[in-house]
Amino acid sequence: MASEQHDAPQGRQEYLLELDDVQAGYGRAALVLRGLTVKVPPASVVCLVGPNGAGKSTVLKVASGMLTPRAGSVRVLGQDVTRNGPQDMLAAGLSHVLQGHSVFREMTVGENVMLGAYTVRDKQFIAERVDFVKSLFPVVGDRWDALAGALSGGQQKQVEFARSLMVDPKVVLLDEPSMGLDPKATATVFEQVVRMRDAGLAVLMVEQNARRALETADLGCVLDLGRVHISGPAQELLADPQLAELYLGGRPHTDDSAKATHV
Amino acid sequence: MSGSLILQSVVLGVLLGGLYALLAAGLTLYFGVMRVVMIAHSAFLILAAYLAWYFTSQTGLDPLFSLIITVPLFFVAGVVMQRLLISRLRPATLTMMSVLLTFSIALVIEGMLGFIFSGTQRRIQLPYSGTSFEVFGANIAVVKLIAFVLAAASLLALYLIMKRTRFGQALRATIQHPEAARLVGVNTDRVAGYGFGLGLATAAVGGTALALDSTIYPSLHWHWIGPLMAIIVVGGLGSIPGAAIAAMVLGIGQALLQLPLGTTWAQTIFYVALFATLMLRPQGFFGGRLAQRF
Repeated sequence: MASEQHDAPQGRQEYLLELDDVQAGYGRAALVLRGLTVKVPPASVVCLVGPNGAGKSTVLKVASGMLTPRAGSVRVLGQDVTRNGPQDMLAAGLSHVLQGHSVFREMTVGENVMLGAYTVRDKQFIAERVDFVKSLFPVVGDRWDALAGALSGGQQKQVEFARSLMVDPKVVLLDEPSMGLDPKATATVFEQVVRMRDAGLAVLMVEQNARRALETADLGCVLDLGRVHISGPAQELLADPQLAELYLGGRPHTDDSAKATHV
Repeated sequence: MSGSLILQSVVLGVLLGGLYALLAAGLTLYFGVMRVVMIAHSAFLILAAYLAWYFTSQTGLDPLFSLIITVPLFFVAGVVMQRLLISRLRPATLTMMSVLLTFSIALVIEGMLGFIFSGTQRRIQLPYSGTSFEVFGANIAVVKLIAFVLAAASLLALYLIMKRTRFGQALRATIQHPEAARLVGVNTDRVAGYGFGLGLATAAVGGTALALDSTIYPSLHWHWIGPLMAIIVVGGLGSIPGAAIAAMVLGIGQALLQLPLGTTWAQTIFYVALFATLMLRPQGFFGGRLAQRF
């Protein structure tokens, strides 16, 4: 849906990830997602925003195979992967970074990153990926032998990003990457998200910090009650005064001061 | 108290501590991977000791050869036990229910041993049972040294498995963050099964080491489970290095306390250490943060 309103430059665009009319919930409880459709085009950042309980994190759990949807479909490059478990989703090219801290605290940064390639056997490929993530996240190379749990929150997030990129995924799923981080670390994390996109990755991101996330994203989807309420280019969503009032906690900024802070 | 007596006690403590360390490592592994309190660990220990004794009495071979059978057997038994019994417990109440479940398994093993081998006390007679040698005035029994070397070698092997192998990495990842482990592609259910098997394999080695040097009887496991539980709490639940260090410290402490207090009262060091840990530092003295999740 995101893209139907967003005019793609080269006509019919192929999507890396499509969630189509997905219904999902936990156990016997009521549905959390009630017919949700989200599409992620290549080399783009798609951001899901919305109130608590809208189902933002659940979208990512369905995409990474942690939660099997009750109806609807998940496709990667047109291939149906709906009922895959986490291992197969990873193989299909979907890599999930959890919210909060999810490094293996008592292991080194290097061990954490190498575990990202747990499903990969090709040594040459792994070596190339290590070089790649080190170039994208310098802290990984600098602190390779340090215990991951000893790093600052923002550094740990970068280790988690690096770990998730070891399999060379097509789409990275980021669940609240800025949660619990101070403003400086938050700025770094969003810069890294942009760098991941610039490196050719697609990012599907869930953020509580909606305004900040939409400033980083190309496309935005506003979720409410398990459905996509509105979607479109992130800048348009940011500029919509009604949307700002309802979901972004106030009116849109009239000047560029908000953007100036994250440079 | 003479210096040589103290040295003798320290040596005995180190030798005993090595065995404690191996057994506690297994026990802390179950808790680390699965939040399982494995009351039956020491029952499997005694089972392995009986198997070693039975093996020697039947074949006349050295009990160490029984390891060739018991280690793989216990590993498989551990995997089966985890997949068939432990994994059926509801996650929300798993830790509590695992106490009941493994308590019943301990009773079953004790009953079976009594039924098959009777309650008679058993002891392996070895050609080198009585031999000992002297180092700086301290007397070291050969059987105790063998038991220690066996325990130390097994601990080293366990350490190398955890640190150097792909399986070990997956196991540690599962202990530290199960959800993130699943997301990098670790089959955490399978890893938990193998982890349980690995824990039970330590009981096989420990039981054989124990049989070299002890009189065994079916209910002996109750004497072991208390100190072992105390060790893993003092060391920090789920931490293998913590368990090993705590085992060594408490083993030496026990041996030293035997001089003024005698063997019965020296045993209380485990419970004193347990209470002190729970009061002062419930996350354990040498381990990680896992105890807070208990």
